[in-house]
Amino acid sequence: MPAMVDIDKRGENDAKPVYKVIEAIRRGEAVDPTLHPDMESLEGVIDVDMFNLYYGDTRALFDINMAIPRGKVTALIGPSGCGKSTLLRSINRMNDLIAGVRVQGRMTLNGSPIYAPHVDVIGLRKRLGMVFQKPNPFPMSIYENVVYPLRIDGENRKSVLDEACERALRSAAIWDEAKDRLKQSALGLSGGQQQRLCIARAVVADPEVLLLDEPCSALDPIATLRIEELIREIAKRYTVLIVTHNMQQAMRVSDYTAFMYLGRLVEYGPTSGIFRRPILTETEEYVTGRFG
Amino acid sequence: MTETTDPIRVRSAPAGSKGSMPFRATPPSALGEPMIWLTGGALVLCLVMIVGLVAMIITQGISTFWPRPIDRVTLNDGTVFLGVPTEFQEDPPQTLYRTGNRDIGTEPFRWVSQSDIQSIDRPEYAVMLERSAWSVWLGIPERAILVNDQGEPTIVAEGPKAVLAFIDEHHAKARARWHEIESLKKHDLGRVNKRIEASRLRVREAELATRREQKPGGNFGLGAFVLVLGLGIASAGAAWYVGRLFMRGDEQQQLEGPSRGMRSLRMALVLVSLGLLLAAWLHAPWKDRNITEAGLAEIRQAAAEREAKYQDQYAIILARIAELEAQDERYRLEVIDPRTGRFAPARQTEPDNPMRLSQIVRLVDTNAMGSSEKVGVYLSRWWEFLAHPPREANTEGGVFPVIVGTVMLTLLLTFTVTPLGVIAALYLREYAPQGIVTSTVRIAVNNLAGVPSIVYGVFGLGFFCYTVGSYIDVGSDPSVRLPAPWWWVLLATTFLAFVAGYAASVWAKPVPGSEPTTMNRVLAWTARLLWVGVFIGVVVLIVRTPYFNGFFEARAADGSPTFGSRGMLWAALTLALLTLPVVIVSTEEAIAAVPNSMREGSYGCGASKWQTIRRIVLPGAMPGILTGAILAMARGAGEVAPLMLVGAVKLNEDLPISTNAPFLHFDRSFMHLGFHIYDLGFQSPDSQAARPLVWTTTLLLLTIVVSLNLIAIIIRARLRARLSGSTV
Ligand SMILES: Nc1ncnc2c1ncn2[C@@H]1O[C@H](COP(=O)(O)OP(=O)(O)OP(=O)(O)O)[C@@H](O)[C@H]1O
Ligand SMILES: [Mg+2]
Repeated sequence: MPAMVDIDKRGENDAKPVYKVIEAIRRGEAVDPTLHPDMESLEGVIDVDMFNLYYGDTRALFDINMAIPRGKVTALIGPSGCGKSTLLRSINRMNDLIAGVRVQGRMTLNGSPIYAPHVDVIGLRKRLGMVFQKPNPFPMSIYENVVYPLRIDGENRKSVLDEACERALRSAAIWDEAKDRLKQSALGLSGGQQQRLCIARAVVADPEVLLLDEPCSALDPIATLRIEELIREIAKRYTVLIVTHNMQQAMRVSDYTAFMYLGRLVEYGPTSGIFRRPILTETEEYVTGRFG
Repeated sequence: MTETTDPIRVRSAPAGSKGSMPFRATPPSALGEPMIWLTGGALVLCLVMIVGLVAMIITQGISTFWPRPIDRVTLNDGTVFLGVPTEFQEDPPQTLYRTGNRDIGTEPFRWVSQSDIQSIDRPEYAVMLERSAWSVWLGIPERAILVNDQGEPTIVAEGPKAVLAFIDEHHAKARARWHEIESLKKHDLGRVNKRIEASRLRVREAELATRREQKPGGNFGLGAFVLVLGLGIASAGAAWYVGRLFMRGDEQQQLEGPSRGMRSLRMALVLVSLGLLLAAWLHAPWKDRNITEAGLAEIRQAAAEREAKYQDQYAIILARIAELEAQDERYRLEVIDPRTGRFAPARQTEPDNPMRLSQIVRLVDTNAMGSSEKVGVYLSRWWEFLAHPPREANTEGGVFPVIVGTVMLTLLLTFTVTPLGVIAALYLREYAPQGIVTSTVRIAVNNLAGVPSIVYGVFGLGFFCYTVGSYIDVGSDPSVRLPAPWWWVLLATTFLAFVAGYAASVWAKPVPGSEPTTMNRVLAWTARLLWVGVFIGVVVLIVRTPYFNGFFEARAADGSPTFGSRGMLWAALTLALLTLPVVIVSTEEAIAAVPNSMREGSYGCGASKWQTIRRIVLPGAMPGILTGAILAMARGAGEVAPLMLVGAVKLNEDLPISTNAPFLHFDRSFMHLGFHIYDLGFQSPDSQAARPLVWTTTLLLLTIVVSLNLIAIIIRARLRARLSGSTV
């Protein structure tokens, strides 16, 4: 077992662990990600293949290769600025909105390329729900916020909207709090409620994949807990990709975890593997909070 | 505390003073007080000036209509006159009396030195008559005369008291009669006149139609028409079908949208169908209105018959007017001016004919009035001011048409400039690539705000009134009209350029996520050039079309242009141009202030750019847009200079809004408060009498602008509250 070997090695160098991979990355060498067994054979909803991204002249993602497994929760972890958000945002092509962004490589959703000339970006985004780090409810009523994705599809039948709104609010675990104030401004909700509202908005149109970018970073522990429960709940129906800085959270909610560093994918495997038997020293040090 | 090496502390806390607090001196200039005084003082100065201005306008403006006492002044040289004291001067002490009675040649205002005055009293029966012409008359009512049916005058009342009683009894009836005469002249005669005019215009139209070459493109048979129409509909259907083909992508869950070739093809099909439908419409066989000479004669005949009928109606109304006027002539008054001993004449040219009772608009015998009666006069003067048209070269009567003109102009201006400015700002902020060109445009737009407004007036007159207006009136200039075949060739070329430009810009988009290639750049420039070509083509197509003869050709040929002269629409557009920078700047700021997280949220939901703008950006920017509209409104309502060129006139009682179709008459010239103030103050024959009205009119203008703004501000406050979530 490679993991066992790793831990043994660490025992020898207790004072100063050797970060072979990270040293190599810092030197600017190309490093292959360390994949746990079985990861190669995963069937991915989203397949990332030698993906690079540049902000103007600065390169933010380096040869990312990974498959996001269908129907599972995948967590992206890594120190600040390592490109987690960038990767997440390139899946629904949010980076198109930033001037000077260039990409290389391939990324596919259900096998069809995301970065191809004829791709209907709007159609693509309709199939991927996204929740941002900071809650961003629109300045309208709670109801209108939730049904926004349906409204822009031209759906105006009240019965359909009402039903979808209730379903989405229930699956975002905010129905009980919001049902009596649907017509009131969403800005009157608390931060945690707003974030759950955003989750409701992201799931109301039944996306295939839910992209969550640090959804709990602005929330207190209780709200965080509720959202975590919610993610587990939602994961029964959707594929979820979540960025988080909170190791416990990654451990609690995700099935797979990818550790990124300086724009590279470093180690990728089942969450239990990453947290209990990581292959690389640096991963272990990072998930235990000793490095990062 | 150990010795520190910190240089500040070393300097301020000398060695040896161990234990004392370190001391850092603050120079007095760094303390707050002087700056507080300076900044606060400047603000107070500004406020005092503004408050002073407003207070002056209000006090002067509201006191104008208060009835003042009528003095009988006896001078040392024995002259006696009636006057209303209006102004006093200390050194040397003298008084300005309003003496009126302009029609018998006296000065209507007169400065009298205090030392020349022997005595002053206020006779109970002194009256000030506000007359329908020749301004006020001050005098003592002495006789009332009733002329009988044979034309013999009888004195029915003698002495002020009896005369006043006579006036009390008959004045209302006399005025009613007079109003009826006016109304008959204005409305009934006007209506008949309009019918005669319309009938003449119909003949004129027919004449023009016979003279003009029918169908510049030659005749278009029914068969050809059906063919072209059919082709047009077929290609429209094909365009729809090509679009449809790719809507099915949803069901197949593919990411690909329509290919670039297909998109270009669809655009080409749309344009082809548009062109064919246009051809079918322009050449529809039933539009052939061949009017022969015989037909024309028939039309003339019909018109002559109609006009004869109208002339009869005209005569009936005239007879009624004559009858009422005869009645009116019977009631006469002698109101004596004590200085000359002469009575107020019916006309300036007939000094021996005493005035008619109906000439009195309002009789004010201030000296005999209690305060409640004075308040009554005050209010009735305000009412006349607000609700009646002006008289006497605008120096008397009301300003109703002026108010209507100002309010309508301001509203029209606001509703034109706001959408225009918002669209321009949206393009600048949301669509245009942010680069040198965009920044230059932005700076240029901002600088437009500094161009003197009269320049806009000149431009408005030259471009809107004389160019665009006359195009609307009489169509394209015959000397530049293209022969029909060439016009169609140009149309086809323009469409071709459009499709090519569209295709080029579709292909100019780089592969997502990569740098534009040289090919992309070349295509982008080609597209830009083609768009410029399309623009020029469209302009030429419109200016030189052989098909358009204007909407008001007959009227223009009759010498009364409709839109081809100064009018409210062009004034509003000129002011819109003038206030455009204000709206663009504040809208741009408002759009930029909409947080990007909102846009990202919307895009993340799968909204298109336009949906994001319409549902997120615009509502979020709405308070800022309203701020722009408010500023534009305030600036536009106060502009006078350009209006003098493009549409404001001294007198036009035909309101731009009426109960006759089409209800809004934006082609008419109009009266405007700003111009009215200028006219009252500097252009009126009796500027002394008009001066108090200047204040009142200013007060009114101020009130109107403030209340329009207030409405907008309230709406904005509501919107803000809704956006920030503090109310539902
Ligand atoms: N709009 C941008 N323009 C230029 N560089 C950017 C932009 N956005 C991100 N970057 C850079 O790309 C790198 C990755 O950023 P990213 O936001 O993906 O990090 P992250 O892993 O999400 O960090 P965090 O955990 O702090 O959110 C960073 O070095 C950042 O400076
Ligand atoms: Mg991030």
